[in-house]
Amino acid sequence: MATQHVIIGGGPAATNAMETIRELDQQATITLISDEPAHSRMALPYWLSSQIPAAHTHTADAAFFQQLNVDARIGQRVTAVDPNGQTVTLTDGDKLAFDKLLIATGSSPLDLPVPGNELAGVQNLWSLGHTQQLLDATKDAEQPRVLMIGAGFIGFIMLNAMHKRGWNLSVVERESHVLPRMLNADAAGMVNSWLTSRGIDLHCGAAVESIAEESDGSKVVTLDNGTTLSVDVVIVAIGIKTNLDFLDESGIETNQGILVNEQMQTNLPNIFAAGDVAEGPVLGSDKKEVHPIQPTAVDHGRIAGTNMAGETVAYRGSLSMNILDCCGLQTASFGRWDDTSDDVLTISNPTGLVYRKLIWQEDQVVGALFAGRANDMGMLNDLGMVKGMLQTQARMGAWKEFLQENPFDIRRAYIAAGVPQQLVSSTLLGRPSQPRKYRFGGKVSAVQANQSHTVFVDAKSS
Amino acid sequence: MGQTVSKQRKIGMPKSLKIVPDKCTGCMQCELACSWVQTGTFAPSKSVIRVNVFDEEASYAPYTCLQCDEAWCMTACPVNAIGTDQNGAKLVSEELCIGCHLCTLACPFGTVFTLPKTDKASKCNLCGGDPACAVACPTSAIVYEESTPAGDWFGPWSEKVNKNYVAANS
Repeated sequence: MATQHVIIGGGPAATNAMETIRELDQQATITLISDEPAHSRMALPYWLSSQIPAAHTHTADAAFFQQLNVDARIGQRVTAVDPNGQTVTLTDGDKLAFDKLLIATGSSPLDLPVPGNELAGVQNLWSLGHTQQLLDATKDAEQPRVLMIGAGFIGFIMLNAMHKRGWNLSVVERESHVLPRMLNADAAGMVNSWLTSRGIDLHCGAAVESIAEESDGSKVVTLDNGTTLSVDVVIVAIGIKTNLDFLDESGIETNQGILVNEQMQTNLPNIFAAGDVAEGPVLGSDKKEVHPIQPTAVDHGRIAGTNMAGETVAYRGSLSMNILDCCGLQTASFGRWDDTSDDVLTISNPTGLVYRKLIWQEDQVVGALFAGRANDMGMLNDLGMVKGMLQTQARMGAWKEFLQENPFDIRRAYIAAGVPQQLVSSTLLGRPSQPRKYRFGGKVSAVQANQSHTVFVDAKSS
Repeated sequence: MGQTVSKQRKIGMPKSLKIVPDKCTGCMQCELACSWVQTGTFAPSKSVIRVNVFDEEASYAPYTCLQCDEAWCMTACPVNAIGTDQNGAKLVSEELCIGCHLCTLACPFGTVFTLPKTDKASKCNLCGGDPACAVACPTSAIVYEESTPAGDWFGPWSEKVNKNYVAANS
């Protein structure tokens, strides 16, 4: 009998699990339940900045679900999970039976508990719906004034998009510097002055006390230091929480997120969790953590899908990593970037806009932090190699000392320590990755052998 | 991350770029050829093959995407802008790429680049099956051939770079 798979969610974890299950099992029935169209949150800022149409953020459409023979219930949510009866209940009252269930419900933005938070023009900026809401709210304004409350990673991706559109931007952050969950004070200091030089009005170390509305519709935001700011739209981006509420009394073990083992399995063997909502294995650590980032969601989805389809594959754990373009200043962090160990390599040149930090544990790199101009190609490619060092947990041996003395010669240490050799033989699922099948607009990449070759005389034959 | 790929695909294996570091003289012809074919300019900064210059040991080696089996760039891409072609090359669709840099971050080889002008990802696509770098290399330090497994030259190269450095500094 065909296995009945039910997937709750429409983000990257859900769609990757869906495609993986279908790749491995043509007979299984798959139902996917998502309140918004299947899409990738990482792409939303590019829609907001009007670089791409809304549909480009989608990762599946009706035709694709049909092609994969997936019953997609878009616009529905799950209100309850019954692990004993092996059913889920949808908002429309429908009850679906499952043999294998994947919970990939992601996370939601937190509300700001201050007076005036319910006013029209005060909103989150997290989902497709929120993005549309902001586009609608600003469509008639030439240069909308937008205040962002909270200077976190997701908020800043959106800030970058609004900056590209030339909007008038201000930011309020409770902590003493921007990106408190991604950068230390030194690197954030560079970002602070950079953003200020780009015309963004920053208020760090201040909290919002209230929001009021004026007769012309402007929002007046009062801070606890007495400052008042008048804007058109207030965006609340103070953090996220995992979407777990519907699991109350289901018996599924949770902490910050749903606790999963290395097969992305919860304490109930037929129920799996993946993506932002899952608290799973961490690379190089015994702890479990929620890593609400796209690459982890993809890994989780592929591992969960493989195990749900009946193969057994174990996840080594996710690596926390973030890359963020702060209006032309690129920042990136990996692993234990916030470790307070003093066994570190730090290069800080605020005037030259170069910041690099490697955090060591013995001779292994366990965390890293970078900031530099967005067009600093050297930095972008060094980032990848540092990721390779973290991912392989390479022992750098004598090369640790070399890096301390030659922090910009990452390439040599990376090669000498044998990192690429370790990487070539490892894959997530024990077999080559397949490209995902959905393409926006059916566009397929293709390269033809370039005729420019004919200008070369084969050097070897001369 | 973590599973070992079994020896497979011996028959009809796609070709891959094989580097012979000992033969590289550091002339950078490959970078020029690559940037010309990829971007229509002779600009090594836009090349997706980069020569490692280890001057102290007079050791050079070109380095580019291996078209690896895991394809971290491809799986990380949020909009499925990276696919594969008949040569096994992982291709960035410029039309689909949104410029989020996630592939650059995800590739642990450091071989996914960004084109400053468009802010889009740029990586080796094997020139559609006739890699310019291999044609341009005067010493056959870059050859395009069937090799099992891809990247089998990494190990010996790593050992040599390591040994040379240790010897020079002891």
